Amino acid sequence: MGLLLLAVPVLAVLLLFIFKQNRIWHIISLSASSFLLIIAARLTRNVMLGGKVEYSYLGGFFYLDALSMIVLDIVLILGFIVSIYSIGYLQEEIKQGKVAAGKLRHYYMLMYSFIFTMVLALTVKNMGIMWIAIEATTLASAFLVGFYNEKKAIEAAWKYVIICSVGIAIALLGIILLHLSSFGVLASGRFLDWTALYDNAKSLNSSILRLAFIFILVGFGTKAGLAPMHTWLPDAHSQAPSPISALLSGVLLNSAMYGIIRTAAIVNHNQGNSIYTGRLLIGIGILSIATAAVFILTQKDYKRLLAYSSIEHMGIIAVAIGIFTPLSVFGALLHMINHSLTKSMLFLSAGNILQKYNTKQISQIKGVLKLLPFSGTAFLLGLFAIAGTPPFSIFASELSITVSIFDGKSIWLGVIFVLLLAIVFAGIAVTLFKMFYGNHDQKDLKAGETNIAGTVCILVLLTVITITGLFMPDGIIELINQAQSIIIGA
Amino acid sequence: MSDFLDTLSVLILLSSFVLMANKRIKSYIETFRIQSLLIALVAGIMGVDSLLTEGRFDILVVCLLIIILKVIYIPALLHRTYVNVKYKVEKDFILNIPILIIVCCGLVVFSYFTLATVDGLNESIFNIQFVNSVSVIWIGLFFMISRKKAIGQIIGFLVIENGLYITAMLSTQGMPFIVDLGISIDLLTAVMIMGLMVFRINEKFDSIDTDQLNNLKG
Repeated sequence: MGLLLLAVPVLAVLLLFIFKQNRIWHIISLSASSFLLIIAARLTRNVMLGGKVEYSYLGGFFYLDALSMIVLDIVLILGFIVSIYSIGYLQEEIKQGKVAAGKLRHYYMLMYSFIFTMVLALTVKNMGIMWIAIEATTLASAFLVGFYNEKKAIEAAWKYVIICSVGIAIALLGIILLHLSSFGVLASGRFLDWTALYDNAKSLNSSILRLAFIFILVGFGTKAGLAPMHTWLPDAHSQAPSPISALLSGVLLNSAMYGIIRTAAIVNHNQGNSIYTGRLLIGIGILSIATAAVFILTQKDYKRLLAYSSIEHMGIIAVAIGIFTPLSVFGALLHMINHSLTKSMLFLSAGNILQKYNTKQISQIKGVLKLLPFSGTAFLLGLFAIAGTPPFSIFASELSITVSIFDGKSIWLGVIFVLLLAIVFAGIAVTLFKMFYGNHDQKDLKAGETNIAGTVCILVLLTVITITGLFMPDGIIELINQAQSIIIGA
Repeated sequence: MSDFLDTLSVLILLSSFVLMANKRIKSYIETFRIQSLLIALVAGIMGVDSLLTEGRFDILVVCLLIIILKVIYIPALLHRTYVNVKYKVEKDFILNIPILIIVCCGLVVFSYFTLATVDGLNESIFNIQFVNSVSVIWIGLFFMISRKKAIGQIIGFLVIENGLYITAMLSTQGMPFIVDLGISIDLLTAVMIMGLMVFRINEKFDSIDTDQLNNLKG
């Protein structure tokens, strides 16, 4: 069952290779992603009932527990939504002549390799293979970032490949040190096995382990877009096609963050407290939020603004993991879900806006609400949501993180945190809200949505983030609690 | 055996100094080839040793993989890229070579002092090898910063990867085999993608000078 998860994307890529018609590519993509979604639903049920899913074959490399299930569900749900959205979006791009019809196949092939690498990163328990998969996510998505093949897109793709490959290489040094710290503790068949490392955490060599954590934090932090290693992120997110930006921001960053969380759990278990990882994570997290706040205030390009907002939210998650109390870790995981859904909705609506106006400059856009009544409204409400306004779900998770910071008696940290969130809110309000009103200057723009199915997806996401802000289903809360106890330990 | 490995680790470090002093892209590629050959030699010695003592031959497979990929295929690929990129560059570095070498010496001293303070590393025989191989990683990083051309940056990335390989090999007798294999595949794909991107950069910008990639800011 679980292995199908890995087989379906590979099969999709192979089928895309065989068939030559435009329509069939769309059908393959849609059916692959819905199939993945069904498997994910079954596996989620198994994880909720049994705690984890493991198979004995192939050396028992396949491993799913509540923590990986949460991130995996985000990947596959967003993968499904993006595959629906992509149909209308790419057909419109082809009609406008921005993309050659034959490149559609490359797009889907790269997208499914990208999904495959992320699924692989989340379903293995060997940290070495996880590293390989996370490195492969960069390689699979590099040409998606440079998909438009313009000067700017190529520049973004080059920066993305170089910065992320070097960053991830540093994470490999961390993985080597992690391996070294377990020498003489683990049997040779269980090297780098996360469960074994976690169970034997107390006997690992703690000074090597501490060194390993720094390298892994820097390495995976580069992929997660934490400042000061974030410089690739705004470029890549703004130059990639909008559905891919949604995947990068909603899914890729989480997968990298997942690696950091797994390592932090081992280190904290080894040290017996979270002071060491806490200081590093809180420091880097606050720096990310502050960097994002400054750049959001002065931003002129709305897709870049959304990218900086992703850096901010990754910073919030890092701070919450750094606090490392049950409430804060719960908040971090909830925030991961909420941020992914909200941010991908925003990128998808930004895609509709970009297609209508053909510009990314905020100053050249007026009257979005008149031209795009649905995605415009969703974009406006989504901006409120991403800034942390109730009743949307991000408010709930940000509130629980804030409460957990003040609970830990670190008043100043809480004050700085809330202040920075307020600056981000002001930044979004000042720079973006002028897009929505007024009348547009160009006469040739016609009102109305072009990508109907995509707009329906956006509205579904909007409904979900509104409802989960008010009422979270018990099943999800239980799953998050399970994951939280995996991280913190019973 | 550890004398051999000590010597080889020093030679590998020396080869990264040589790389830093190189002026032309062609000689970068050759130095990289020599460095990879030295790494393959380390893997060969350790492979033979583990074959004789434990009967494992996975390190020998890794050695073969290094020879095929890093000594033969990747240098050839880079050479092809270099020949096909029309815009030829002679001078490629920001600071002059003596200063670059002094900075590299500083990096070796830096990694010596940082690693000397970590318990569990400084008591074992691996210490000097560990310092040398970690220094190779930092020199690779510095090489990437000091060169302006896209191919120079690819070489820097490969040297970092070489440093990681040798660190893993000398400190832990190699990673689990499947991980080593995966790393090699990733590396190969990465270099191919970077090579393709160099073509595209050359096509769009009429040069492979990465200083020109400055349109995206803020």
